[in-house]
Amino acid sequence: MRALLLSVASLVSFVSFVPLVSFFPPAGVLAAGGGTIRGRVELRRVAPPVERRPTVSELGAPAARDVSDRLRSVVYLESAPRGAFEQSRPGRAVLNQREERFVPHVLAITAGTIVDFPNSDRIYHNVFSLSKAARFDLGRYAAGHSESRRFDQPGIVRVFCDIHSHMNAFVLVFSHPFFAVTDDEGRYRIENVPAGTYSVIAWNEGVSSEPRPATISDGGAAELDFTLR
Amino acid sequence: MKPGTTKTKWKAIACALALCGSVPARAQTLPSEPIVFADGRVTFGGDVSASFAPKDTGYFNYTDYQHSALRLLRIDFTGSLKAGDHLAVLGEVRSENVGSPRPYALFLRIRPWTARQFDIQVGRVPPTFGAFARRTYAADNPLIGYPLAYQYLTSLRPDSLPGSADELLRMRGRGWLSSFSLANPTPDHGLPVASAFSWDTGVQMHVTSDFIEATASVTAGTISDPLVTDDNSGKQIAGRVAVRPIVGLILGASAARGPFLTETASQSAMGEGRNGDFTQTAWGGDLEYSRGYYLVRFETIVSDWTVPAVRAPLIDGPLRALATSVEGRYKIAPGLYAAARLDHLGFSEIVGTARRDTWDAPVTRLEIGGGYSIQRNLIFKVSYQHNTREGGRVRTLNLPAAQLVFWF
Repeated sequence: MRALLLSVASLVSFVSFVPLVSFFPPAGVLAAGGGTIRGRVELRRVAPPVERRPTVSELGAPAARDVSDRLRSVVYLESAPRGAFEQSRPGRAVLNQREERFVPHVLAITAGTIVDFPNSDRIYHNVFSLSKAARFDLGRYAAGHSESRRFDQPGIVRVFCDIHSHMNAFVLVFSHPFFAVTDDEGRYRIENVPAGTYSVIAWNEGVSSEPRPATISDGGAAELDFTLR
Repeated sequence: MKPGTTKTKWKAIACALALCGSVPARAQTLPSEPIVFADGRVTFGGDVSASFAPKDTGYFNYTDYQHSALRLLRIDFTGSLKAGDHLAVLGEVRSENVGSPRPYALFLRIRPWTARQFDIQVGRVPPTFGAFARRTYAADNPLIGYPLAYQYLTSLRPDSLPGSADELLRMRGRGWLSSFSLANPTPDHGLPVASAFSWDTGVQMHVTSDFIEATASVTAGTISDPLVTDDNSGKQIAGRVAVRPIVGLILGASAARGPFLTETASQSAMGEGRNGDFTQTAWGGDLEYSRGYYLVRFETIVSDWTVPAVRAPLIDGPLRALATSVEGRYKIAPGLYAAARLDHLGFSEIVGTARRDTWDAPVTRLEIGGGYSIQRNLIFKVSYQHNTREGGRVRTLNLPAAQLVFWF
């Protein structure tokens, strides 16, 4: 638990201080090609999904629900190149509520992105977060409706439903665009990284790896695998 | 008050303060998810609430002579064991004011057809009747006090009977410690309209769809006096139907009927063979509507207790109680809400030798308060209660209260 908290704390402090940490190539380098960091994140143990609380006051068994995908990890640069912050173009992202779960379970975005939270269930949901990086409550709304929230502050935002305590998701907000979410097989690919040497970190369900160095040449690629848990 | 109560109270306060004291340092380390074993087949959860308030000299919030709902350290552990898709065993153990843990719920849930939302529950089952009794957990209650219908003690008892209307009128507003001449003469607490503090034992069936749900049960006790083992050979039949015409709106209707007097009490009043005549019959209606940051609830219960007419002046006809409560909650900001509840409990009139009066003293309560989430599953609540009663020694009482709630 302590290690987990330290990992979360280190990530939060990192992303919060990204604009202050080291940068390597001068501004303008980002426009030129850049290289790729790719690899795989192996999970020795997949974090179990959050179960429903065993509520004895229900008159019958609760409806079936989907289980969150906890295999997805996020890989990101600990330090970003100069100019990365000017280059990022915040857009829109979607965190759906479907079968009493958030889809996707992990969302990685750049600061300034607006996230839509549509309700695709036939019941009410109430998205909220009490995280330092984003404290908000979207209220209760029904199927077919959507509420939005702009995430301006870098950090980890834990998102919950006020009605269904087993529903939760992570929104990782970065100051720069050099991050990637792993695919079904744990593979990731961070593209357009300016030439230089960087520290790279992998994260899964609140657990972070130690930073690992990666050197990128213009148009080149670096392979970097991680093992977590 | 029993010896040792003060000591227990201090223990409770000490435990709660220890929890409070640890909040700033450990706020992010408290578990927030249920504990799971055996690939999700065994799940444990818990609720802890510590409530603080000045002494309730009017016994407005007492659930028996020893326990006030506003001065309570309550610890609940809930467990679920799933045995395949058809069977589950659910149970809850509860301790109040660091007293011995006692089973609150223990039942087998059977789902005969996995594709159909039809369940049978057998054992000490959740209440079929009404709405509030299934959300008495502090995290589900926006305030600290309980609705009068589910907590306030009337003077009526299942094991002791007034011989006449005069005797019943003498006990107006003294439900926390009433005594009558027939059957058990020892003073003890009376019955609430519907108990939120213990669950009944029996069989329950529940069917649900997106639009409607229906529940029926046969149990040993009554809504005012749930039992583990039957004390009068009579069963209560209860039913509830709830519809959801639109998302966010729930309309419910409930009914229950069953003998409430113990066999000993009814025999001492009327002799053999009349157990089944002295019943509690109740009807209830409830509404819940929520949208955005609002939540509004309304609930009303009418309860008739039929008691033996023994001596003049006779208690002629059933003793009726009518309870109505309206509560609302509004989220002011993330993690911060305000809430209020207005509650009234009224009683029918009976005729005594000297006067005609309600058989118990009507009570009105206004409670306002709010809560702040220190973290998702750690909530600090405050409230202020204004109680008035048309009888008894204490007729008006204002009570501030605070509560710390933690769940996982």
